[in-house]
Amino acid sequence: MSLAIDVTNVSMRFDAKGRQVQALEGAALTIPAGRFASIIGPSGCGKSTLLRLVADIMQPSAGSIAVGGAPPRQSRRDHAIGFIFQSPTLLPWRSVRENIELPLDIVGRASARAAKRSPAELIELVGLKGFENALPAQLSGGMQQRVSIARALALQPEVLLLDEPFGALDEITRQRMNLELLRIWAESGTTALLVTHSISEAVFMSDTVHVMSPRPGRITAQLAIDLPRPRALAMMRSRGFFEAVNQVRDALFGRDVAETDGVQSAIETY
Amino acid sequence: MANPAAADRLRRTLMLLAPVLALLLALLAAEWLTARRALPVVIPAPSAVWADAMKNPAVVTRHLTPTVLKAAAGYAAAAAIALIAAAISSLVLVLRAPIYSLGVGIHSVPLIATTPLLALWLGTGPPTHVLVAALACYFPMLVGAMQGFAAVERNRRELFHMLSASPLQQLRYLVIPSALPYLFAGFKIAAPSAVLGTITAEWAGAELGLGALMLYALGAFDINKVWLAVLMACALSAAAYAFWAGAERLVIYWDSAAELRD
Repeated sequence: MSLAIDVTNVSMRFDAKGRQVQALEGAALTIPAGRFASIIGPSGCGKSTLLRLVADIMQPSAGSIAVGGAPPRQSRRDHAIGFIFQSPTLLPWRSVRENIELPLDIVGRASARAAKRSPAELIELVGLKGFENALPAQLSGGMQQRVSIARALALQPEVLLLDEPFGALDEITRQRMNLELLRIWAESGTTALLVTHSISEAVFMSDTVHVMSPRPGRITAQLAIDLPRPRALAMMRSRGFFEAVNQVRDALFGRDVAETDGVQSAIETY
Repeated sequence: MANPAAADRLRRTLMLLAPVLALLLALLAAEWLTARRALPVVIPAPSAVWADAMKNPAVVTRHLTPTVLKAAAGYAAAAAIALIAAAISSLVLVLRAPIYSLGVGIHSVPLIATTPLLALWLGTGPPTHVLVAALACYFPMLVGAMQGFAAVERNRRELFHMLSASPLQQLRYLVIPSALPYLFAGFKIAAPSAVLGTITAEWAGAELGLGALMLYALGAFDINKVWLAVLMACALSAAAYAFWAGAERLVIYWDSAAELRD
C-alpha cells in the first residue's frame, strides 16, 4: 500500500524572543493511503507544529516529509492537501455556498469544473441543505465547522489534515461531529490525520494512534486500533475500546503512573 | 408587544427618528423662548432665520456649493493618499512607522495656525481651501486604512496559503473585505473634518463659501445670516457623516462586530 504521509526524522527549532526552542526532534510517522490516523499528546508537545509542517504552512529545520510521494509544497500547490483549522476560519462576508466555493474561485472555474463533487453535493454531504445562503454568523459552531469540512473537500484532496477541529465544541456536539466526520471520510476516500488531545477521541476515530511526548516533541508510540468499521458510539462501551484507551494512556503517562493513579485514570476513561 | 420582530422594528424606527425629533423640539423651544425674550444671549427665532434665507435663496446656494465642492475635493484627495500610504506601509514594513508619524504630525499641528501661512504662500483661492480640507481629514482615514490592511486574521491568511492563492486573489477575496469595516470607520470620522477644514480655510480669506458668508455676516452684524451659515455648516457636516454611515450599512451586510468579539 502506498504511503499518503511519510515523515522521516523531522526536527523543528523556533527562535522565540531570542531563545531557541526545540519543538520537534527526530519525529517520524507513516500513514498508508486511505487510513484514518491521529496524533495525540499534551498541550505544547509539538503536535500542531508537526501537522503544519505536513501542510507546508511551516518548513522543518531538518528531516524530510512526503505527502502523496511529493514534497509538501508541491502537494499543497496541487491542492492535494485539505486543512481544517481548530476554528472554522470562514469568511463572514460569504454565504455557506460561497465559502465552500472559495477553493473553486481560486483554482479558476475552468479547472474547478473537473471536480468530481459539485458544491451542492458537498453541502448535502455535510448536512447543510437548506442553509446554502446563510451567512456564517447565523450558524452554530458545529455547523460552521461542517462548512469548513466541505470547503476542505471541495478540491478532492488526497490528504485531510485536522487540527483539533472540534476542540471548541461541547462534548455532545463533538461526539456527533466525530461520527459525521467518519462518515464523510469513508465516503470521500481520503487519508485523514487528526491532531487531538482527547484519548477517547483518538481511539474512536483512528486506525492508528501516534503518541507524542513533549520537549522535544517526538513520536514515542504507534498503536493500532483493532475496532471494526464503521465505528458506532456503542463501541465506546466495548472491552476492545477500553483496552485501547488504556494502551494509549500507558503510552502517554508510562505504566507506573497509570497503575498508582488507578482511580484517577478510571475516572478519566468515562 | 406580542411580536418581537415588530417590537424590534419599532425600536429601530424610533432610534432613527430620535435625532430628527430632538432637532424639531430644539427648534420649537428656541422659537418659544425667543418670542418671550427668556434667553440671556441673543438668539434669532428659527422662523426669522428661515424667512431671511427664503428672501434670497441664491445666497444659500452661492455660498454652500463652493464649500461642498472644496470639502469633497480635499476629502477625495486625502482618501486617495491615505489609501496609497496605508498600502505602502503594509507592503514595506520599514516605512510603516514614518508614514504613521507623518500622519500624527499633520494631525497634531493646529490648522488654525498653519492656514494663514498657507494663505500667504498659495493665496486665498480654492487651492488653499482644498489643501486645508485634505490636511484636516487625512489622519483618521490613514489610521482606518492602516488598521484595515493589517486586519487579516492569521488563520485566514494560512487558509489562503493552503489554497495557494495568488497575491491578487488574496487582495480581492481576503484583504479588501477584511479592511472594509475599518475603512468605513475612518471615512465616517474624517467626513465632518473635511467640512471643518474648508470653513477654517475660508476664514483666512475667501470670495465664496460658508466661512466667507460667516465673516461677511459678522462684519455686517447680520445675526440671521450668521446663524444661517452656522446651521448650514452643521447640516453639511452631519450630511457628510450620514452619507458614509449609509454607505457602510449598504456595503457591510455581514456582522463585522462578531469578528471583533471572536
